[in-house]
Amino acid sequence: MSTPPSDWEVVIGLEVHVQLHTRAKVFASSPWGFGKEPNEQVDPVVLGLPGTLPVVNREAVEKSILFGLVVGASVPEHCSWDRKNYFYPDNPKNYQLTQKDFPVVVGGQVEIELPGASRNVMGEHKFIRIHHAHLEEDVGKLSHAGSGSLVDYNRAGVPLLEIVTEPDLRSSAEAEAFLRSLVAMLTQAGVADCDMEKGQLRCDCNVSIRRRGVEKLGTRTETKNLNSISSVRDTVIYETARQIRELEAGRSITQETRGWNAELARGYVLRDKEDAHDYRYFPDPDIPTLKISRETVARLAKLVPESLYDRQRRYVEKLGLPYTAASVLVNDRALAEWFELAVAAHPTNPSGIANLVANDLLRDLAASAGTAGAFDETAPPAVSLASCPIKPAQLAGLVKLTDDGVISKQQAKEVFTEMFKTGQDAAAIVDAKGLRQNSDTGELEKIVQEVIADPAVAKSIAEYRAGNEKAINALKGPIMKRTQGKANPVLIDQLLRKFLG
Amino acid sequence: MAEGFDIDHLAKLARLSLTAEEKALYSSQLNQILGHFQALAEADLPATIDDARVVNEAALRSDEPGPVLGAEAVTRIAPASRDGQISVPRVVDDES
Repeated sequence: MSTPPSDWEVVIGLEVHVQLHTRAKVFASSPWGFGKEPNEQVDPVVLGLPGTLPVVNREAVEKSILFGLVVGASVPEHCSWDRKNYFYPDNPKNYQLTQKDFPVVVGGQVEIELPGASRNVMGEHKFIRIHHAHLEEDVGKLSHAGSGSLVDYNRAGVPLLEIVTEPDLRSSAEAEAFLRSLVAMLTQAGVADCDMEKGQLRCDCNVSIRRRGVEKLGTRTETKNLNSISSVRDTVIYETARQIRELEAGRSITQETRGWNAELARGYVLRDKEDAHDYRYFPDPDIPTLKISRETVARLAKLVPESLYDRQRRYVEKLGLPYTAASVLVNDRALAEWFELAVAAHPTNPSGIANLVANDLLRDLAASAGTAGAFDETAPPAVSLASCPIKPAQLAGLVKLTDDGVISKQQAKEVFTEMFKTGQDAAAIVDAKGLRQNSDTGELEKIVQEVIADPAVAKSIAEYRAGNEKAINALKGPIMKRTQGKANPVLIDQLLRKFLG
Repeated sequence: MAEGFDIDHLAKLARLSLTAEEKALYSSQLNQILGHFQALAEADLPATIDDARVVNEAALRSDEPGPVLGAEAVTRIAPASRDGQISVPRVVDDES
């Protein structure tokens, strides 16, 4: 069911609503945040009480422009706000302030990466065009209890950037990849936190199907208010199958607005085209048109981080990282920058550093994060490096010790665990534990000679001398055992070849 | 122009009780008003920037949280409330 018959092509466009990372609301100074008691984050401007006037929050505008710059959009000279009129209790003013004719972001594109054939193989890359993004206010929250409904206006007036794509997506996997890439861009630029559990990112999903090779778009349906990436994926799969079933049964698709029941994993009709709202948009008389200065744009352009996939390409091509490690690191900007600091301290083995960061460090950070304020709204969604007991240069020091043959890779894991526990330098731990590999040739030569003399290994020696290179490995175990694992493997190998050759 | 409204329904929404004469009078007046808007709506005007009401970024507010009303004050101005929330007739945009 997840893949439509090849005869049909699905066409998807998304409208992504993202709450911007600000302290105050978008047209009012009321604070906002998750987990407050109902109606405790409301002021007269939010309610649109008589005598109040909205004033646009600079930070919300700048975060919107920054998003535009991140996706390579053009930042228009002007943007303005309009009233979208509708009557519903989630909306205290009977209109929502939004941008219809002159949005703050026009155009742009988001690079996506599809899943590869396996986890260590990079999938196909594609660019999804952004039509525009507009800055509007979120609406209040309704809950239904018995015969009535209850309204909480804490969310009303929260800055909401609505990002509208072109109908460029062609599968549920592409929709999923787009959202993951978009979330990474938004969080890495500090535009939004995108915590879906807190409703900070919600999606409307437009789906239509057409016969492959046909250019004309089919009639689309819009499924509203999807609050997770998996809901978007499931909606696309469901809606594609439903539309194919309708058309193949000789029926037609009705242009309609639909809802999604995540628990039952099925869609349902909210209203059809005849019931479509006429929002009677008009320019908001209270908010003047804003001229966006080029100085502001230039200042914000400096805040645009390296894009996710530019960074990934650099890691693979310039630093020689395996794709698996690179793809893990680039998803978290703080982690990637931490990794780069470590590489700067020990530039000769980026892969060695990457493996420790992407595996050991992430694992230990995740394990320790479980105990620290999981419900803290200020905590970033990714693992927190702020409390990481190991500094980048210290990790570099550990990798250098391994590269220099002072400790083995196996011992490095042990030292890492100790470093994470104590925050000590690798060298200090190695010395304290007496882990330094034995590079004293004289003592080692004696052990090597004793092992070679042991009749138990005579067979392996014969095989080695007969040309079986691998047979030499059978001799290394007993030597390591007698040195309690402290012997330098490189030196053992050299000595063995010297005495056996 | 055909009436685009139901005068009885409008009167009910406005909580007015109208006589037959009043209904006829207001229907005709409303039709006139709606006619004006119809004419405006038919004009094909592209969206434009009104230079007279353009401001620069100095007119923006800084991202400083200010005072709030508090749930008690918010719910007091509503006809009905419960547990700090405003109580309204059931509205469901939901699967039924």
